[in-house]
Amino acid sequence: MHPLLNRRDFLSHTATGLGGIALTHLLGRDRALANPVPIRPEINPANPNAPRAPHFAPRAKRVLMIFCSGAVSQIDTFDYKPELIKRHGEPMPGAEGLITFQGAQGNLNRSPWEFRPRGQSGKMVSDLVPHLGALADEMCFIHSLTGKTNTHGPGENFMATGFTLDGFPSMGAWATYALGSENDTLPAYVAIPDPRGAPQSAGNFWGPGFLPAAFQGTDFNATQPLRNLTRPSVFTEQTDRASREFIATLNRHHLERFPGDSELAARISSYELAARMQLSVPEVADISSEPAHILKMYGADEAGDPVKDLKAAYARNCILARRLVEKGVRFVQLFNGAYQTGGEGVSNWDGHKSLEPQYVKHGEVMDQPTAALLKDLKQRGLLADTLVVWCTEFGRMPTFQKGASGRDHNPNGFTAWLAGAGVKHGYTYGATDEFGYKAVEKVAPVYDFHATILEILGLRHTQLSFYHNGIERRLTDVHGNVLTDILS
Amino acid sequence: MTAPKHTPLWTAALTLLLFTSKSLSATPTPADPAFFNAKIRPILEEHCFDCHGPEKQKNKLRLDNTVGVVQGGESGEPLLQAGLSAESYIIKRVTSENPKEVMPPKGDKLSAEQVELLRNWIDGGAKMHGKEEAQASLRIKTEHWSFQPIKTPAIPGAPASLKTFAQSEIDAFVAQKLQGKALAPSPTADRATLIRRLYLVMHGMPPSPEEVSAFLDDNTPDAYARLVDRVLASPRYGERWARHWMDVVRYADTDGFERNRERKTAYPYRDYLIASLNADKPYSQFLKEQLAGDSLGVDAATGFLVAGPFDSVKSSDKNLTLMQRQDELADIVNTTGTAFLGLTMGCARCHNHKFDPILQKDYYAMQAIFAGVHPGERPLREKSTPETALKLAELKILEDAKNRELDAYRKMAPVSKPAASSGGKRPPVTAVLNEETFEPVEAKAVRFTIEATAGAEPCIDEIEVFDSTGKNIALASEGAKASASGTLLGYAIHKLEHINDGQFGNEHSWIANTKGSAWIQIDFPSPSQIKSVRWSRARDGRHSDRVPTQYKIEAVIPDGGSKQIASSQDREPFTGKRSADATLANLPPAEAAAAEKIKKELADLKTEMSGLSHVSWVGRFDQTPAPTHRLYRGEPTQERELVAPDSLSVLGTLGLDTQTPDQVRRLKIADWITSPENPLTSRVLVNRLWHYIFGTGIVDTPSDFGLNGGRPTHPELLDWLAADFMTHGWSIKHTLRRILLSSTFQQSSAPNDTAARVDADGRFLWRYTPRRLEAEAIRDSMLAVSGAMDLKMGGPGFYLMDVVNENVMHYFPKEKYDAADFRRMVYLFRIRAAQDGVFGAFDCPDGGSVMARRSRSNTPLQALNLFNSSFVTQQSELLSQRLLKQAGNSPVARASLAFQLFYGRNPDAFEEKNSIAFIGAHGLHSFARSLFNTSEFLFVF
Repeated sequence: MHPLLNRRDFLSHTATGLGGIALTHLLGRDRALANPVPIRPEINPANPNAPRAPHFAPRAKRVLMIFCSGAVSQIDTFDYKPELIKRHGEPMPGAEGLITFQGAQGNLNRSPWEFRPRGQSGKMVSDLVPHLGALADEMCFIHSLTGKTNTHGPGENFMATGFTLDGFPSMGAWATYALGSENDTLPAYVAIPDPRGAPQSAGNFWGPGFLPAAFQGTDFNATQPLRNLTRPSVFTEQTDRASREFIATLNRHHLERFPGDSELAARISSYELAARMQLSVPEVADISSEPAHILKMYGADEAGDPVKDLKAAYARNCILARRLVEKGVRFVQLFNGAYQTGGEGVSNWDGHKSLEPQYVKHGEVMDQPTAALLKDLKQRGLLADTLVVWCTEFGRMPTFQKGASGRDHNPNGFTAWLAGAGVKHGYTYGATDEFGYKAVEKVAPVYDFHATILEILGLRHTQLSFYHNGIERRLTDVHGNVLTDILS
Repeated sequence: MTAPKHTPLWTAALTLLLFTSKSLSATPTPADPAFFNAKIRPILEEHCFDCHGPEKQKNKLRLDNTVGVVQGGESGEPLLQAGLSAESYIIKRVTSENPKEVMPPKGDKLSAEQVELLRNWIDGGAKMHGKEEAQASLRIKTEHWSFQPIKTPAIPGAPASLKTFAQSEIDAFVAQKLQGKALAPSPTADRATLIRRLYLVMHGMPPSPEEVSAFLDDNTPDAYARLVDRVLASPRYGERWARHWMDVVRYADTDGFERNRERKTAYPYRDYLIASLNADKPYSQFLKEQLAGDSLGVDAATGFLVAGPFDSVKSSDKNLTLMQRQDELADIVNTTGTAFLGLTMGCARCHNHKFDPILQKDYYAMQAIFAGVHPGERPLREKSTPETALKLAELKILEDAKNRELDAYRKMAPVSKPAASSGGKRPPVTAVLNEETFEPVEAKAVRFTIEATAGAEPCIDEIEVFDSTGKNIALASEGAKASASGTLLGYAIHKLEHINDGQFGNEHSWIANTKGSAWIQIDFPSPSQIKSVRWSRARDGRHSDRVPTQYKIEAVIPDGGSKQIASSQDREPFTGKRSADATLANLPPAEAAAAEKIKKELADLKTEMSGLSHVSWVGRFDQTPAPTHRLYRGEPTQERELVAPDSLSVLGTLGLDTQTPDQVRRLKIADWITSPENPLTSRVLVNRLWHYIFGTGIVDTPSDFGLNGGRPTHPELLDWLAADFMTHGWSIKHTLRRILLSSTFQQSSAPNDTAARVDADGRFLWRYTPRRLEAEAIRDSMLAVSGAMDLKMGGPGFYLMDVVNENVMHYFPKEKYDAADFRRMVYLFRIRAAQDGVFGAFDCPDGGSVMARRSRSNTPLQALNLFNSSFVTQQSELLSQRLLKQAGNSPVARASLAFQLFYGRNPDAFEEKNSIAFIGAHGLHSFARSLFNTSEFLFVF
């Protein structure tokens, strides 16, 4: 049979002989009906990060996202389960033959850390994170997040971009694409990698995906300066300045032949912004001007053993995060934990085999500095228009792995918390089952989490889109419901 | 239950009347088409019409007429399968216990009687009056432009005012549109601009000053045409345009995802692309080879199929594994759809395409085409000559012999006895060899239960069980039989039969299909008295991962029951230290040296053999692919009917059945795509050529010719180009030459306010629109200008990242570069999810997804990278040396040479004055650095 000839007269048939679909009427008519009309940010090529209005009045102007790499156990931090304590050592009911990422499960295992009621709300938080626990009244907990994969790379992609696959823009890139920046001397979107290194999916975490490169995150931290920010030492300061002027002279002279060309104008202005960044980035990253009591509050003055050194380095990143928020950077991404190096659970929260000794260290590093960051933002009034998001790629099992003293991956129910602008404080949303294994109440797929963050920024997640390869792409794909219950 | 709201009573009465007379004579049987109206329609009316009737059609499902029932809803799920009520969707929904699924969602459920009637009707063939007509009315059709046949439109006559411009057919079409918009073309660009544009567009590098002056001095009438021929004949052309194609097919040199491992053997596909383009291989053949090169003697070409990301982290979770495979196939289907057909097939993975005439069934039919394709490596047979094949066979015989010799040494070597530890425990397990001795016991089998490993699925290369005479009775050759909890599929080197084949090493090993735990049992031909067991992960010491670290060994007693004979309980914990081939060291010195020599020879043999066999990342093929099912909502666990490999139903059928071998599937689809009657293939390709030459295609969405994509600005021109392309043997160079020789291409890029007000983006081609160069063209141009460029073609790529190899790979941008890094960027070892520290900021794709059209940002990070990076500092230094050497001490000569290198022209008075002053004050190094940062260098005009 020769194909292609009877294009207009071909009966489509499924295996049953039924099924076809007339597409004539679908084409054209449904185009408008299919999705809400995208609201396209008007990007000025000469200044792609100029501030842009949101879709509606925002609850927060910017986001600080704290991402803990390796999958933090909800069981050992924020998701208190008395039944798990009671049935410690018993097999998990209904989990016979359950195979998770690394294999078979042992018995239910309570957290080695005690849980205590904290603050006015009496929220139960474990002793692994006492400083954060003390701030429970500031937080809005979501215990019913669910993911789509139990592998770190795809899981990190999913939390970062809404897709488990590579190649999609990060949440920060979406926010910057929509809103631009209110600071024209700093990057609109900054990612602060952990002192131990970047997370595995770093390139996707702050990458632009298919969005223009103008909206990608710029990565630097308190120790690793922004790449190519400083003058190469072979050039003197005077030469450097003169070179910049010479470039501008030649470019302006050339522009006379192309008056009004927006791409050429954009290139000239990108050099002006770069010059401003060369001054403002080192200034914002230099925390030496911070007073002793602030360093102490964050734990940035600690030293003496590897854990304290690490804590101090992370604390300095926390201070940098606060300084960026203060300067109005639109999206700040702060990382706790790096890619897997030195073995499972050593450099991040991936506690498969011996959770307790590893988590003692991770808790020590993360707890006080993160809590100090939250307190510091509050005392400076920055929480009034900044949304703080604490999250991880997925959760862990309430059981220990068979023959091990740690927990396997579990995307069926995990915890994140939000604080600051836009959310209820001292509030808990959703719940996992009696052991903390599966989300059962107000189940919130990560899509909902993303939709809610955009909503808080004044963006309708169904309408923030970018055309790529035939599809109006969204952070939330074709999913997502705003968790209206948690909005303030 | 309330009465149906929207049916006037009199209609109901009339229906009743009509059927009463019939039903008086005889109640229709379920196989009678009248049964539907008599018995089924009333049920649907009572329960379903509120949402799926004349007023509302939720999810586009309508049940009040035959067409609606036949068509089903937008999910693509057929409502029923005639004759198979148990399989029918409608039955599942009305009988579901799940409150989220059950239909109707509110109100009374269907009674048992009603469900029974429905079942009877379906089992009776689901007959309805007018069903054939309904099916006929649902023939898939589309009026969308890109699905219509390619016409050869008449060449429009040019108006008198545009006669000079409209020299060629292309220009005639362009002139017609310009006139329609009251626009005028721009004058021809000056020659210096033209040659620079031609080189940047076609080679991605500027012309040398010598090439410029030769062209400027050539006063023959066909000087430009000959220049175009020279440019097309240069190997630089294939390198530049292969890079474009690599965007379209999401090529990169690492796996992406969590592990992101290097694919050191992916590059032959890149070499194939460059060679094919340089040779001007007909596009139809080029395309066919990429889909089915294994049948056409071009194995390297199928790199296309597997160039995308690959998730190599496998888990014991079955659903995850199914989803990974679905994602793998989706990547191939989507890329084939976008690259060749300009269609976004991926949208139909979960439901019928919302915009384009692609059914969900079509997606799975296309997936079935590729169901035999797996990411992986394969030898490139085209590299094999009779001599190399013979040589390989000889080497293989030699290798086998050497392996046997080495194994003989291993067997004669005494097992080392590490010193007893303080705790009195036995030494930890090793990857190389473990011996378990115990009180002799009568056993009919031995069962080895693994509880934990050093990581991932356990691997064992050999288990030996010795009887009281010291004979290994576990050998298959002695009649023993091995069984196991499971075996990792898809690896010839890891099979269950390897566990007792008497051969050692990873190449002859077994790997379980579960992480951490597994079991193996070896049944003896008859019960025997056993006294020891030896086992190893890799007795040649070359692998130490996957070692079972916690285990127990039991003897299966002939009369029933079992007895534990050894376990890891009394061993020191596993340390994970890699052991050398320890047993060999225990040999007497002469033998040990001989064994070492064999190992060295084997390593050399391996290198020689892999060099000869040219294994490459071009995919593995399974000639009898796994069956393909349509998946409800794209969920891997929701399998529906079997789907045969096929093309898009709107464009015909291949007529293949589900048993068609893999190779035939891919060849057939390639034939279908390259049929001259396929309306998409040639249009999509000529539009890509136009896109890369002008910066924007005639259709501005080069990989989407569907309803959501752009409309052609010049539909007749597009058709003319597509038809001309095919009649000229699908020659890409032919069409490129036509475009490059057009007046349209040769126009000046000077702005024009009046025209810009009508058409700011230049879509109607009133000028050549300037644009920033891509990352690769900028880097290549820098190297060309500095003189550092190494034009070595082909072979493995160079790295701009330092690589740290752990369980997962880490990549860090290099800060120092040497001459080996100064090749054209097409040869960059491209790493997914990691961007080069300098050029990554220039909208440079990482192969994470298909990139048909790059963004063109201008950002401060780009400025910082070009101004401060060590790469640019180094190139500036090299350039200043070049200027010194070639232009001597005269500042005028230096400035002049620099401008010729950078911009293909001499400086004007203003530029010369400023340049001389700058060089005088700040030196050549800074001068060079500055010019690398100028707009004129970074843009094509």
